[in-house]
Amino acid sequence: MTLLTITMQTPSPSPVGVPGAGIFSSPVLLSLLIWVPVIVAVAIASMPNPRGRYDVLMKQIAFFTNLGLVFVLFIAYNQFENFLPTMQYEEKLPWLPAIGVTYHLGVDGPGLVMLILSGLIGVASVLASLGVRERVRTYFCLLLLAQASVNGAIVARDMFVLILFWGAAAIPLALLILGWGGGPAVRRAAAAWRLLGYWGLGTGVLAVGVLALYAVTGGRSFDMDTLLKAGLSPRIQIAVSLVMIVAAAMRLPLFPFHGWLRDVLAEAPPGVVVVVAGAASRLGAFLLLRTVIAAEPAAGHLLSPVLAALAALTVGYAGLAALRTADIRHAGAYLAMVPGGITVLGLAAISPLGIAGSVLSLFTGGLAAALVAGVCATLSERAQSRSLAVLSGLAPRMPNLGWLLMIAALALLGVPILASFAAEVMTFFGAFKNQPIGAFAVAAGLAVSAIALAVLLRRVLFGAPNPDAPGVSDASLGETWYLGLLAGGLLWVGLFPGGPKIPGTEIPLFDPGLINQMAAGLSDMASPYAAPAPGPSQ
Amino acid sequence: MAMFGTVVTLLLTLLVAWGLTRRSTPFVATYQYINLSVGFNGPTNFQTFAIELVLHVDHLTVAALAVIEICMIAAIGWNQVMGRAEPGAARFHAVITALLFACSGILVSWDLAELFGFWAIAGAMTYLLLAHRWGVDEAATRARVALALPFLTDLCLLCGIAWLYARYGTQNLNTLLPILHTNPGWTVRSLVVASILLFIGVGGRLALWPLTSWITQTAVTAPPAASAIAQSAWSVVAIVVLYRLMPILAASNQQTIRAFISATLVAAIAAPLLGLIGNEPRRAIALAGSGAVAIAATVVLNGLQVTYSTFAVAGVAAALAIAPARAAAVLAAASIASAMRTDNLAEMGDAWRRMRATSGALVGSAVVMGLAAAGALAFGVPTRSYLGFALGDAVLLIAIGGLRIFLTASFGPLRRRRAFEPDRVRETPGALGWPYWLVAAGAALLIASGITGWLNFLDGQKHPSPSAGAILLWVVVPIVGFGACTLAYVFNKEGALAASATGGLWIGRIISAALGVIDRFLIGPTTGIAARFGDWIPAGDGAIGRFTTTSGRIALAASRAPAVPLVIVLAVVLALVFALVAPGVAR
Repeated sequence: MTLLTITMQTPSPSPVGVPGAGIFSSPVLLSLLIWVPVIVAVAIASMPNPRGRYDVLMKQIAFFTNLGLVFVLFIAYNQFENFLPTMQYEEKLPWLPAIGVTYHLGVDGPGLVMLILSGLIGVASVLASLGVRERVRTYFCLLLLAQASVNGAIVARDMFVLILFWGAAAIPLALLILGWGGGPAVRRAAAAWRLLGYWGLGTGVLAVGVLALYAVTGGRSFDMDTLLKAGLSPRIQIAVSLVMIVAAAMRLPLFPFHGWLRDVLAEAPPGVVVVVAGAASRLGAFLLLRTVIAAEPAAGHLLSPVLAALAALTVGYAGLAALRTADIRHAGAYLAMVPGGITVLGLAAISPLGIAGSVLSLFTGGLAAALVAGVCATLSERAQSRSLAVLSGLAPRMPNLGWLLMIAALALLGVPILASFAAEVMTFFGAFKNQPIGAFAVAAGLAVSAIALAVLLRRVLFGAPNPDAPGVSDASLGETWYLGLLAGGLLWVGLFPGGPKIPGTEIPLFDPGLINQMAAGLSDMASPYAAPAPGPSQ
Repeated sequence: MAMFGTVVTLLLTLLVAWGLTRRSTPFVATYQYINLSVGFNGPTNFQTFAIELVLHVDHLTVAALAVIEICMIAAIGWNQVMGRAEPGAARFHAVITALLFACSGILVSWDLAELFGFWAIAGAMTYLLLAHRWGVDEAATRARVALALPFLTDLCLLCGIAWLYARYGTQNLNTLLPILHTNPGWTVRSLVVASILLFIGVGGRLALWPLTSWITQTAVTAPPAASAIAQSAWSVVAIVVLYRLMPILAASNQQTIRAFISATLVAAIAAPLLGLIGNEPRRAIALAGSGAVAIAATVVLNGLQVTYSTFAVAGVAAALAIAPARAAAVLAAASIASAMRTDNLAEMGDAWRRMRATSGALVGSAVVMGLAAAGALAFGVPTRSYLGFALGDAVLLIAIGGLRIFLTASFGPLRRRRAFEPDRVRETPGALGWPYWLVAAGAALLIASGITGWLNFLDGQKHPSPSAGAILLWVVVPIVGFGACTLAYVFNKEGALAASATGGLWIGRIISAALGVIDRFLIGPTTGIAARFGDWIPAGDGAIGRFTTTSGRIALAASRAPAVPLVIVLAVVLALVFALVAPGVAR
């Protein structure tokens, strides 16, 4: 048996003056984020739990696992060097050398943004799941496995490994919906199968694209540095990019590949809703960024109108469908599509600012989508009804959930103070140069979404209470915390996108600023799209 | 606390104003909000994206801010007496404070992205104010338009700013304005598009007709203090922003400016004209105020055509005078409506005897609104031009509309109705003074708007004085309007009210019919298609699922079938297929 040696990148030297510098340095940091949840899941599964005696302990284990990972992430985030364009915290381990597969992990600016998002979503999903009473052990085991696969898909630098993690997320999530969803068994089964079908098909499509890349690059390696920097002809770039767009559209989702979203977000328990809407679905846009925009600039230029059209259709359809639906969870599901459309508009902008906006939008869109879908799910559970005909005048009786729904609405619309404002400003500013029609169309779709939100708020929160409605209760502590965490994340980055500074100085206080950290590698990604110097004025 | 905060803010504003008198340049402070390097190649403008919090405080800023604060103080004070029954007092005052913060931010912003940020916050707070009555169905329904319509126009503003950034790579006015015609690649077309988008964005918040529904729909259902604040604050904020964006609008072409002037002119005439139809006093006040602000906007824009800044700042001064008068009118009308338990002018009357102070505030505000534009128009709109004629009509209509409410509510019998006793109608002590203070402030600003020194103070430039004849001429126009209204209502009040009620009924029917047509032929089918798509996709998934299940069953059955006959059948079928499709078979 060949001795496997871990090829370690020397841990990056800590930047001078950063609080927490030198506290933590590990060559297997990214592996921790993947395998610790798996190990804990296995440990939870192995623990005896006669008659649910240790349910609370299992919840605590899951919570503190996620909290510990967020702590590790926080330190890694602080030590991340935003001036380096290369991957950081790299790990490389030969795995299947015969076909060129390596266990290669690494993260750059956009990847770090996704990891932070995944960490926050992980904590929020556990908090949202504190109300689970049945088969707690199995539930949290599957939840941790889902989180691990999302983290793995984010940090994978080998396309084969990416496919594995990409597809692996579907199984635990489908089982969670099937076993712990809110509706009748028939609807839960339909939602679970739909998720498996779409995500499975998307994984298959991704595999086709990856294999095509593998074949045209000589079939030597699945490493992203090989496949995505191969300098392919425009025709091959377009073909591969189209495949990747389909795979990404099935995950994000984009119209018309969104068929799974409504049922999944409507039937899943709130913890799963948060994971799906907040982190797992963002992988679609992340894939587009890595494999199309960053790797295939010729295809990026040619296919940008297609991406803009998909973005506009998605946002417009989401608003119209949310306007028409009579089910609050369906409304939340449709509105959760809006941030994805904005993110794709930023990618379609094929300008440095648009790409930067879309990277920030990955974070803000994930939080906003999770917030709106989560609050609709929690509200329907607390009000014991999903029908908009029954729900009315809830704001005075459910003040916490009422305010959180309003914050979710404001986050979707990109109101300032919330982080989505900065993301949408950057996206629109970047998009108007190259995709003005797409930008206008998305803005129009956003206007329709605003109308849908106004109707939703008026129906659910304002107006006279319905005397025939069942009794309602406000959010529990756990529910308030998980929704508050999502809202707090949006608020924090919205107020301090560059991080708080010690007054009078440029020294970061304890947060170097998401905007700053995400810049690592961004300029390289965007350099093929930098506009040439304009000619003489007319 | 909200009152305390607003008063403190006013004192600080006055302190800053005093500081400005001791220097010749504005106060400027800059803070970094976002500074992101997005590229290392391409034009330098686009290599870095920055949003800076540029706080630029000049004379115009402090004047506008002081007017807004005065309006808010009066509205809060009035609400503390008259709004005791309103739900959520803490929420109400918190939102007002946040709105004041946002309006201050807009007025001091010199970075367009920063401006839009505060603009959007102010928009959100305005919606929360106008939708304040959470338990009332009608309030919630009507407040929808207060979110959706201004959001549309706010999006246009954002698109305009984004369009400018896409062409110039900067949104800081200090760096943008000097390069409007010198930045490589600039075109007239791009400036025209940006101007149109910016104008729509600002016009929505100015509530220029036909974008008035967000204030007229909520005029009755929103708390009166909220409605007063929304109308007065936004008219000041939006006119100042229009004035600041003037160089960008001026950089486009003459046809565009003329189109804008035509639009504001139509708004100046249509809004008060519609206010004459229908008997809802608060809606009529909102429309009259909208018309007055439209005149101010016309003067600002006309300044671009004639002499750059003289008449523009006169329009701003007129808007500063209109704002407190508008707020006073809303509060006074609300007091009368609340005392008389009706929002129908036909059921009001005798307020001059029973509520003299409030009625006096109403006539004062009508006079101020009617005369507010006189000074601005006197600064150089020729009376013998189409523009002068049209603006004269607008002033006439505003004067008639404003006084109509006073005359109808103040004179004539107040009839007994079911559960209403006229003898119980009386003033509410404690709420009397606030509309009066607003009228006094409006009157002071009205007089100042005709004084050259005030205009010189506002924009720091020297302006010529208008002739006394011009001022007199423009003052006569609203006086004629007042006289005409008085004659009409003195001789036949019932007939005039009946005519406006009938007109209002027809307008309502036409609007309902139009909305019905839009809903039937546009909104309904569009949302229906979206809903059907939502059903088709799962149905399609189901069909795919059934297909795969069926093919699986066929495969399973085939695996159980005897092999030899199956192979023969397959061979025959394939041979037939190939025979049919292969070329040459047809010969």
